[in-house]
Amino acid sequence: MDKTTVQELIQPTIKARNVDVYYGETHALMGIDLDIAPKTVTALIGPSGCGKSTFLRCINRMNDTIPSCRMTGKITLDGEDIYSKNIDVVQLRAKVGMVFQKANPFPKSIYDNVAYGPRIHGLAADDKDLDEIVFSSLQRSGLWNEVKDRLDKSGTALSGGQQQRLCIARTIAVNPEVILMDEPCSALDPIATAIIEELIADLKERFTIVIVTHSMQQAARLSQKTAFFHLGKILEFGDTSEIFTNPRVEKTKDYITGRYG
Amino acid sequence: MPHNHILSSFDDELNDLRARIVKMGNLVEKQYQNALRALEHKDKILAEKVRKADRIIDVMDAEIEKQAIQMIALRSPVADDLRDIVSTIKISAGLERIGDYAKNLAKRVSVIRHEEAISVSSAQIGQMVTEISGMISDVIDAYITRDIDKAIDVWQRDKNVDSIYNSLFRELLTYMMENPQYITPATHLLFIAKNIERAGDHATNIAELVYYINEGELLALKRPKDDSSNYAEIDAN
Ligand SMILES: Nc1ncnc2c1ncn2[C@@H]1O[C@H](COP(=O)(O)OP(=O)(O)OP(=O)(O)O)[C@@H](O)[C@H]1O
Ligand SMILES: [Mg+2]
Repeated sequence: MDKTTVQELIQPTIKARNVDVYYGETHALMGIDLDIAPKTVTALIGPSGCGKSTFLRCINRMNDTIPSCRMTGKITLDGEDIYSKNIDVVQLRAKVGMVFQKANPFPKSIYDNVAYGPRIHGLAADDKDLDEIVFSSLQRSGLWNEVKDRLDKSGTALSGGQQQRLCIARTIAVNPEVILMDEPCSALDPIATAIIEELIADLKERFTIVIVTHSMQQAARLSQKTAFFHLGKILEFGDTSEIFTNPRVEKTKDYITGRYG
Repeated sequence: MPHNHILSSFDDELNDLRARIVKMGNLVEKQYQNALRALEHKDKILAEKVRKADRIIDVMDAEIEKQAIQMIALRSPVADDLRDIVSTIKISAGLERIGDYAKNLAKRVSVIRHEEAISVSSAQIGQMVTEISGMISDVIDAYITRDIDKAIDVWQRDKNVDSIYNSLFRELLTYMMENPQYITPATHLLFIAKNIERAGDHATNIAELVYYINEGELLALKRPKDDSSNYAEIDAN
């Protein structure tokens, strides 16, 4: 059995079906159908304003916080409808973590930044347990060696790349299943970007990752699946290796090769 | 035709790369005409000219490769752009090899002496050269105009070169068996013919690359491969 057929047998972690999103009169997403496979990196690409961030925010119900925002359709996580009445949104956001474009550490110590989530979700039995979670999260985010001697220093005093890894540590500290990332490297230099990319490649062994990026090279380097968004619709979805060597849709080709559509 | 790139300097570079291939293709085609003429007229001066011109083709190949690698490094091309640039490196290398075979042809001008064998067989060599020249010019045309049908046509014409080669091979074998004096000139002619036959294979490869650039898939048809002389046997009696 070849690789793709094995992959197809695995149930997708996230299933979006016929998702439409409106901001007041603005119809931001139209009929989105997408399956996101477990423990893979799925890249969402497309021109500015095509709805990538909107779709990402649907997956952890961040759009709920925007008053004008209305969604129809269905999104399931492991088969469970995340918009059903008996879903606890706080629990959902622990299960589906998010990392933003601009690193946003709390103005607290490095330790407290990472300990914050486990504390509010009651994940640690005692202080020793909490230490364990904080240390291992910092290790997994590749930040440990750089901060182990100054865990009590403010998270905001770190460099941009370190702050972003701190936010990733904070996200994985609550042991999520899915990590959503909205342009996580757009404010970073090439080295800090490479470190985050290496980290993402590691993280996909344990987590399902959905990343929005404007860097075609980043999408190509990092992801196994790519979805091309255009004016609120998904025009093409497939294996990243295919999309970047032989896209089927003219608009995808024009976008990734930098042509006038 | 694909849409223009937003960065027009990228289009300029792609066009420049294509123009270089056209120039190289024209020169390679001319090499065959000259090599054939040198052979037919035992023109050693023309033969020397062909050998010298081959160095220009080598330099052109190196320059195309250099420019293409630079474009890959600086432009990070994807999709058809990537296929285009990578395939252009291979097309250039293919043309360089085809050029080498023309040079080999010219090299033999001074060593072929036996009048009779040549006069009998050079018509077929001429035919092969006409075929290969046509294939080169058409495949470059297909490359530049993105004409897949033309590429497929070139691809299919390789069998013509093969079949002339096979009949020439048999004919020369007969001469050699009839008269040992023919062995030396006939062997030279055989090498010449084999060289042109190989050039045909390279032109066919280029046709496949043109197809790949445009379709993103390998030309899936079954290749009319192999010259049957690989299996020819000589009756020792
Ligand atoms: N909070 C909001 N209120 C009103 N309209 C919004 C809001 N957020 C997004 N939109 C609109 O929804 C559409 C999709 O926006 P979205 O931010 O999802 O695009 P995007 O693909 O993430 O773009 P970018 O690449 O620039 O981040 C746009 O037309 C945008 O103006
Ligand atoms: Mg966005």
